[in-house]
Amino acid sequence: MRQFICRILDHKATPYVVLSVLLFILLLPIGWTLLTSLKSLKEAFQSPPTYFPDKLTFEAYRKVLTETPVPRYVLNSLIYALATAAFVLSAGTFSAYGLSKYPYRGSNTILISFLVTRIIPPLSLLLPFYMIFRYFGMIDTKISVIVFAIYLSYPLSVWILKSFFDTYPTDLMEAGLIDGCSRMGVLFRIVLPGVATGIAAVAIITFLWTWQEFLSPYLFLNSDLNKPITVGVYYFVGDELTYWNTISAAAMLASIPGILFFLIAQKYIVKGLTSGGVKE
Amino acid sequence: MRISNSKFGMMLSLPGAFVLFLWVIVPLGILVVTSFLRYDNIHPVVFAGLKNYEFVFNHRIFWLSFKNTLIFCAGVTSLTLVVSLILAHSLSRINRFASLFRSLSMFPWAVPMVVSGFMWAQMFNPSFGVINDFFLRMGIISKPIGIFGNPSLAMIGVIFADAWTRIPFMTIIILAGLESIDPTLYEAARVDGADSLQLFSRISLPLNKKATMTGIIITTIFSFRTIDTIFSMTFGGPAKGTYTFGFYILDNIYRFFNFGVAGAMSIILLILLLIIGSVFIYQTLRIEKR
Repeated sequence: MRQFICRILDHKATPYVVLSVLLFILLLPIGWTLLTSLKSLKEAFQSPPTYFPDKLTFEAYRKVLTETPVPRYVLNSLIYALATAAFVLSAGTFSAYGLSKYPYRGSNTILISFLVTRIIPPLSLLLPFYMIFRYFGMIDTKISVIVFAIYLSYPLSVWILKSFFDTYPTDLMEAGLIDGCSRMGVLFRIVLPGVATGIAAVAIITFLWTWQEFLSPYLFLNSDLNKPITVGVYYFVGDELTYWNTISAAAMLASIPGILFFLIAQKYIVKGLTSGGVKE
Repeated sequence: MRISNSKFGMMLSLPGAFVLFLWVIVPLGILVVTSFLRYDNIHPVVFAGLKNYEFVFNHRIFWLSFKNTLIFCAGVTSLTLVVSLILAHSLSRINRFASLFRSLSMFPWAVPMVVSGFMWAQMFNPSFGVINDFFLRMGIISKPIGIFGNPSLAMIGVIFADAWTRIPFMTIIILAGLESIDPTLYEAARVDGADSLQLFSRISLPLNKKATMTGIIITTIFSFRTIDTIFSMTFGGPAKGTYTFGFYILDNIYRFFNFGVAGAMSIILLILLLIIGSVFIYQTLRIEKR
């Protein structure tokens, strides 16, 4: 019996078979949503369901893009994600570089505090941020969403950036200094181009993280004007009449940036995230 | 004027450290203070000592949400672990189409969690969901089951939706660990006559303990503190069957406006996660030192 099991396990085709079955199940929710988004409303409500749409139609996408506020939601999400990534990179890069290459008394404490703050659950800080925003009259503003998104990704981003700087050889920096570059010049002309992929990875991670955030914009925003796509999809689901095909189309739109990034830059994202060790 | 290297490092990193202070330490301070105040947006704010904590610990709903969180967390972590172990071991053994298979197994990660909840809710739908339809056709069930009408079944549903989004990360962590194991170990064991089950239990599993533990701890922490999937699937229902910590905090913030209680609850969550997380920090720092 044991021999039999081992022979199956050892077979060359086994991992492929296992992977095919597992990935089919893992990708089913995305695939099913994609198929539903290509159905007409009548067919999306059909019971029992059709597995493949009888008639492929982009009706749901047309409707979502022209008759609902979804384009505005997508635009808002883009604004949030880009603004957050820009802030986090400009504030975090120098910090990470200093902490990695020019240690000083107490720099280790700062470094550890970047790691320790990762343990604070964002759920716990929703309340103080809500209170701060209420005090300053910032509830229902775009700024509130961006400020919270910065809190979400900043500590981890610095940590990842630092780990990329750590792997950059000090010899190359010294060579630049000997050639007459200033320390700032070394950073901008030599080190930054050298760790460009790492910085791109952090930018993508921050972008995706903000794009996917739901709870904080849900809590901080009231009006339709500022909602990101995640909150938009949620309110679609909550509507009394559930238009499954149009929600599916909106859900696909909300997932597309992530899927694209994982297709293009999977290797770098994974490297960045495993070096910092976290995703939510 | 040329400043010393350590001063230069300080100049570079202090602004960023100040951002951390402003964004994390200040809100944390406000949170701690709030948790000791009677702050219910009705009465004037006064110091309340441990009253909020007392209220939370004597509140039936708190213990219900505690129980639900533990079940949810245990379910998500174990489901994620089992699937990720199989996925990672399979991925480590293939050569052809390896990067395609890797990319595909990352896809659930790309979907926002709140959308994942919607996707699974749609799959579980009794009248036009694919899961009920599949089991009906197989003859395993005789009539469609609406899992969102039953508290225990609803819990299973949200566990599936949540674990689904966490599998890619755990897989990557375990896979990275597997790839760092010296391949000659396997060859030597083969020569000594070990079969593949023994290779798994004597080499792959024990030598990859650290990576696996990291994956487990991170998944535990994150499933403990996120509610996005539950939010869009069941909103804590039915009959509070999927009501977890997050809902308790949220309800106190924007439904009851009782910031004192929400603050105390936030601190309790934080302390619980600190205990789990300190293990993780300890490990990371140990790796860093090497």
